[in-house]
Amino acid sequence: MTTLDRTSRVVSPPPRSIDGRIWLLMRYSGIALIPLAWIHVLIQDVLVGVHRIDLDYVALRWATLGWRVYDMALLAFAFAHGMNGLRQVLEDYITRERPRRLVRWGLFAAWLVITGIGAAAIVGGVGRGAGEVDGS
Amino acid sequence: MSPLRTVITGSVHYRGREGQLAFILHRLSGLGTLLFLALHILDTSTVYFFPALYKEALALYRHPLFMLGEIFIVAAVLYHGVNGLRIALFDLFPRLWRAEREKPSVYTTLAVTVVLWLPAAFIMGRSLIGHTFLGWE
Repeated sequence: MTTLDRTSRVVSPPPRSIDGRIWLLMRYSGIALIPLAWIHVLIQDVLVGVHRIDLDYVALRWATLGWRVYDMALLAFAFAHGMNGLRQVLEDYITRERPRRLVRWGLFAAWLVITGIGAAAIVGGVGRGAGEVDGS
Repeated sequence: MSPLRTVITGSVHYRGREGQLAFILHRLSGLGTLLFLALHILDTSTVYFFPALYKEALALYRHPLFMLGEIFIVAAVLYHGVNGLRIALFDLFPRLWRAEREKPSVYTTLAVTVVLWLPAAFIMGRSLIGHTFLGWE
């Protein structure tokens, strides 16, 4: 056995398995989320504030295609990153294979359904009959 | 002993210090943000599916307790991002890592988080006080 050089660190390249790719994806999506999520929070929560947000505001924002693309990217990256994080946390405490598989498929299904709902809303935009909203 | 109990009691006795603290905060901030995010995706989706209900969702967001919670959600999002960047940098570029950089990197993470959070907390806190006590529209 070789003595570890305590001032350096070895990270072996992630294996070419699904888990290895997910490991890498967590780092890449995490880095992408820093500008994506922070700018979103900065604009909506800090600069605009929830008291100035309503249907008209959402309709105005989504009138720009770029913001829809932005929101779609945020939805895709953030929720997948979060649900996989939850999977990792749960798998640290669930060691038996059957409950583990149940958790994996349950989280995958929840991720798919909620992402689908969010994506439908971003594509569909502010619904008709919403009042004074300037729709088509 | 169940793994969950081990982690709770172990976190108290285990002297992992800075690294352990960073790890626990990363998990808590991530889970908190995820809980908020799931709720946020679903309530925002009402603008398409049930536009009339969006008002109700906004009323919840404008509640003083929710606004207070939101200030802490922002802290969680900032910490999770800064600490995540620290993890990703050390993982993707192992040559950057030195044993003696480990502890200072945690303190740097906490400091950067606080510096980014204070102005946001100030603006959001002002809005919270204004809308709750001063009758801002």
